[in-house]
Amino acid sequence: MKLHPLSVPYRAASRVVSVAAVAVVGGGVLGDAANLSTPLGAVGLAVLGIAAVVGWEVAYHRRFDYELTADTLDITSGVLSLRHREIPLRRIQNVDIRRTAVQRVLGIAAARFETAGGSETEASLEFVAAAEAKRLQREVQRRKAGATDETGAADPTPEPERTIFELADEDLLALSLVTVDFRAVPVLAVVVPLIASRVPVDPLARALFGVTVVGAVLSLLGLWATSAAVTFVRYFGFRLSTVGEDLRYERGLLQRYDGSIPREKVQTLVVRENVAMRRLGFAALAVETAGYSPGQSPGGGSSVAVPFARREAVLELARSIEPFPDLPFERPPKRARRRYAVRYALLVLALTGVAAALDAFVGHTGLWYAPLALLPLAPVAAHYRWLSLGYALGEDYLVARSGFWRRRTTVVPYYRLQTVVQRASVFQRRLGLATVVADTAGSLSLADSDASAADVDVTTADRLRVEFHRRMQASRRARRTRAAGD
Amino acid sequence: MERLHPRVRFVWLSVVLLLAVVAGAVSAVAQYRFTGDWWVGVAVAVVVAGVGATYTVLRYRAWRFEVQADALFIERGVLTRITTVAPFVRVQHVDSQRGPIARLAGLAEVVVYTAGSRGADVSIPGLTPDRATALRERLRELAIESESEDAV
Repeated sequence: MKLHPLSVPYRAASRVVSVAAVAVVGGGVLGDAANLSTPLGAVGLAVLGIAAVVGWEVAYHRRFDYELTADTLDITSGVLSLRHREIPLRRIQNVDIRRTAVQRVLGIAAARFETAGGSETEASLEFVAAAEAKRLQREVQRRKAGATDETGAADPTPEPERTIFELADEDLLALSLVTVDFRAVPVLAVVVPLIASRVPVDPLARALFGVTVVGAVLSLLGLWATSAAVTFVRYFGFRLSTVGEDLRYERGLLQRYDGSIPREKVQTLVVRENVAMRRLGFAALAVETAGYSPGQSPGGGSSVAVPFARREAVLELARSIEPFPDLPFERPPKRARRRYAVRYALLVLALTGVAAALDAFVGHTGLWYAPLALLPLAPVAAHYRWLSLGYALGEDYLVARSGFWRRRTTVVPYYRLQTVVQRASVFQRRLGLATVVADTAGSLSLADSDASAADVDVTTADRLRVEFHRRMQASRRARRTRAAGD
Repeated sequence: MERLHPRVRFVWLSVVLLLAVVAGAVSAVAQYRFTGDWWVGVAVAVVVAGVGATYTVLRYRAWRFEVQADALFIERGVLTRITTVAPFVRVQHVDSQRGPIARLAGLAEVVVYTAGSRGADVSIPGLTPDRATALRERLRELAIESESEDAV
């Protein structure tokens, strides 16, 4: 089958635009060297370039051919050298559909085929009709299910798609307002100087202090507004549904994403609540997968299952994926707070040191000791950090919680545990404490994203380490016998 | 519990000494440019070498490992004491490596990869080549025996 005919003008136009962007930037430099200052020469060169691009894209379209067979996806492509590929369907983990605003107007979509290896996209069709992309996504999923079926006969009726979560408009607004998305920072770095350069500043207001304060307030407001806008655009029209054993989601205002999360690849569930969300009784749910996860850079990571909903609804949905029980959390011993208090106090002292250094080198405000006022807050902060920490051992699940400002509750099924790591720094050993980390395959992102029982008593830690390992082995064996029994 | 081969201390020590020489040379050059003296370089080298040597001895004392019934158990660390339990079912593959200094000392290293985020962390340095090969083969057998098809 061929790509959509509109993909030729779309690809050509986007390529011309990107080449033109490079040409405009590079033009200033190259203009003199190539001596193309005459308008005729420049126009001629542009026409030649566009013709070449259009020709290339027409050839690409003519030579590109794909075919979905019973157990492979065959793709023939290439302008100068022809390449023929057969991708076994069982290796395809997910078909990801992306549509930018322009593509949606044209009715085309990019379909990307991701494999479980997850290091890169295996194949992408740019571009097919939106309905065709949807058909491919459904067909691949259906034929895969048929291929794993022992009888060999593929089920002719497609699995029904059942919506399990939809983001309400007022929730989307609330989510946009309470989320501070630091991806907005680069946008701000461009926008703020632009605005600032337009504002005439009278000499008095130029005083360093005033400018700094106004700038800081403006930046914070701008950051907040920009991140609200980013979040709004990102999660507009969010919908989560189940198709057979897969979770499928759709989101985005300008660019529409449509992807699926295979349930057997789910490693851990993470319930996230920042302090504002917790006050209002809301939470978010993320699913960590091994290998590829949709809408994220390949190589594993977390994908959002529910961006924002009432806490109870989030927990209910999480339990429909992994039925973990509601357990009371065990806290680390109270002496762990001393560590945090000392750590925060040292942080305050370091801040004071920086302030003093600035005071000595820049201006004598005489207020370098102001940060010391934060010192009494260190024990309070330590207490809240301690309050947030906790872990619970269920029959089949380990549940761990941490963080006051951004609380994360991680649910790990024992059979997903990889290695168990117990660590105790010098400072922990002084207080007789240790941390037990339950490492899973999903958590490639950050070191602190692993589920862990932090700062527990050393004897508890020893016991937990053995217990995690034992339960992993037991639950793995139980799953195997259950699988064999089916 | 198995200990590492004592010769691994010399491998670690030679890395420390190399570091001490580099640090000393940099400080000496810096000081020479500004004051025309170079004794700070010597001091830095001596201090780095001293601290590093102590650290090496402590590191060797802390290191131990054991091939248990269903997991590889490793205990190590001077400032932060780390205990790792890597179940054989989770082992993806096992490597043995020999760095240039380790080769001079006639030692090898076994690295165990799991699908976890700290996978490459599970490595055992300071083994005789025979012991490394035997350990690698043993781990490989155990990993196959424990049906590693559900390694993820």
